[in-house]
Amino acid sequence: MYNIPAPTGLSVEGYRTLIIVVMAIILIVFEPVPLPAVAMMILILQVLLGIDTSNGVAKSFMSDAVFFIMGSLMLAVAIVSQGLDSRLALGIIKLTGNKTWKIVIGFIAISAFLSSFIGEHTVTAMMMPVGLTLVKNSGVDKRSTSKLAALILFSIAYGSAMGSIGTPSGGGRNVIMLGYMKEFGVGNISYLEWMKYAYPILFVEIPLAAVILWYTFKPRQLILDSAVRKLKIQVTKKGSMRGNELLTIFIFILVFLGWVLFSSKVGLGIIALIGVFLYMAFGLIRWEDLNRNTNWGVVILFGAAVSLGLHMKDTGAAFWVADTAINWMKMISDDVSIIRWFIAVVLTGLLTNLLSNAATVAVIGPIVLNMGGDPLVMGFSTAIASAFAYLTVVASPTCMIIHSSGLVDKSDYLRAGWKMFIMSVLVLFIISNFW
Amino acid sequence: MKFLIAVGSQEFSEPTLRVGMQVAKAFKAAVTIAYVGPKISKFSASQVRFTQERMEEWEFDRPGVEVLEWAFAFLADNNYIAPTTIEAGFSKNTLVQTSGNRCEVYLQGTVCKDVNLILRNGDIIAELRDEVQRGKYDVTIIGGSQKKGMAHDLVQYIDSSIFIVKNYNQEQSYSLLLPVNDSPHTPKAVKYGVRVAQAFDIKVNLITVSKTESFGEGYTQASNRASKLMRRVGIDHEHRYKTGDPVMIIKNEAGNNHIIVMGASTKNPLLKFFAGSKPLKVMEDCQCPILIVK
Repeated sequence: MYNIPAPTGLSVEGYRTLIIVVMAIILIVFEPVPLPAVAMMILILQVLLGIDTSNGVAKSFMSDAVFFIMGSLMLAVAIVSQGLDSRLALGIIKLTGNKTWKIVIGFIAISAFLSSFIGEHTVTAMMMPVGLTLVKNSGVDKRSTSKLAALILFSIAYGSAMGSIGTPSGGGRNVIMLGYMKEFGVGNISYLEWMKYAYPILFVEIPLAAVILWYTFKPRQLILDSAVRKLKIQVTKKGSMRGNELLTIFIFILVFLGWVLFSSKVGLGIIALIGVFLYMAFGLIRWEDLNRNTNWGVVILFGAAVSLGLHMKDTGAAFWVADTAINWMKMISDDVSIIRWFIAVVLTGLLTNLLSNAATVAVIGPIVLNMGGDPLVMGFSTAIASAFAYLTVVASPTCMIIHSSGLVDKSDYLRAGWKMFIMSVLVLFIISNFW
Repeated sequence: MKFLIAVGSQEFSEPTLRVGMQVAKAFKAAVTIAYVGPKISKFSASQVRFTQERMEEWEFDRPGVEVLEWAFAFLADNNYIAPTTIEAGFSKNTLVQTSGNRCEVYLQGTVCKDVNLILRNGDIIAELRDEVQRGKYDVTIIGGSQKKGMAHDLVQYIDSSIFIVKNYNQEQSYSLLLPVNDSPHTPKAVKYGVRVAQAFDIKVNLITVSKTESFGEGYTQASNRASKLMRRVGIDHEHRYKTGDPVMIIKNEAGNNHIIVMGASTKNPLLKFFAGSKPLKVMEDCQCPILIVK
């Protein structure tokens, strides 16, 4: 590829940037080398292929979005370590009662609500023991509870994925897109403005997701009376809330308020790091635990992906890809507004199921912002579509976490996922056009 | 000697474990029983590990521990492990993380040298291959009902001999079918065949197949040596010479009441990949257990 001349209209640097994009996508999907090695390769090649100087690459590597990803991964470890899952269990039971369909709605809604503010995998990690305790207590035979297990686990995973669009802090990709929007001069969207656009999507999606999952994995157990009772007893044994747990919640509320009130001034990433600092300063989490449980490889990879995205913009590669895509679309119809939107959303949704959602936004973001139309709608829709990680086990950490339980098959993701995917695209289309 | 027995579940792996331990006992081999759980993407590895730690606090075992627990019970019921180890019971706390995706528990063996139980996560072929390289195993034993094509891939890519316990029925009486020719792996296959026949106390049917009517000197010498060894160790045996397609003849002779022991192909790996080999074809076509000796 390196020896083929650059296509007309694309600079040599832009062409070389696209070569790195293709290589990185292949390496991320097939994982022949460790992910941090892919990150290193991106950074090294950007310098060696003459796309930017080493200082330029280093500067593009670290941004508020990367601070946020790093901070939110560490916040997740700090919060989950406190054992708040048992409190969560009690809350769910009080809210839903013992009917299975109500419990399913409860799991989806609570997972979605919580993952709007903290990372989706954090929520899944806290909700999964609660869900599996209910499954375990509802029958001894693994076969008789297999559909119930799938129903509850997918309620948690998909609820968390859906909820991660709710606020900018719901996922690193939201912050990456906000960063791009700022860089491209599209404008600043505040924390509350984002919620104003995103929450209506969530409100529509939650009941629809419950219906889809219910009819895909209809369980034999329609009432979980004894399972709920046993869970209550198990949770009550843990006693009343301890000081550490209260302090954990208090610090998180402070972080949330910081995001709402000050993120436009100091950035979401810095506020997340303040939260991590407070958890460590108050002795709620040790550095050793943070260090052991934070996936630093992912942080480095996202930094490299953002750097690549920025160089796609600077070298004109993003514009060239967008322009070429628009010209192809014009061969179908002169009015490309709807086709453009669908291609951006569906492509993002599909890529997010193969790559990670943050890496997808980092690479696709600069292209969609150059595709014309209202960049705010295009950028926002792309960020939202990157949460449609329903189709594969590797789509997101939440999907992988429930798969690691050994209770859901790979085929279950497609069984439920395609319905969820189509529903989500349609809901996003309606809301982005009429809200 | 060192044997690796791969188990998938309590439901389907009982014959594999039973046959594997019986053969290991005959060889007085050290045994490792391995369960390979689902592959965890590198993107999600730390989140999954972290969640599993939370699950343990809620008294949930990580997937696969129940399979090892069942294997422990099987070993205890059949007295393959020392009474003191049985008395101590299967303690999940003794699972030692030996690398990122590998846990191990050591049990003191009785008739076999040592017995280890291990839990791995990842692609089953890659994990078993890694385990074989790491532990330098002589024989890997797997069930026949595992993922389609898995046995084929294992034979291709794993350095040890492979025993595929396909359609084994404990109630049925078996004979041992031992194809003998001038292949360099035949002498080792004959030695393994003797041990397996002793383990199951069964008759050996030696068979030499030639595509033409004439049997070369190498063929006759190999079959005479094999017969001599059988006589010397006192194994009931019979020797037949057949002409025709070796794969078809071995398949017809084996039926479903033989355990086949044969040498691996000496073709180069690339040729084997594209053109296949006799042992691979026999393994795919036959409906009985087969040990391919490398």
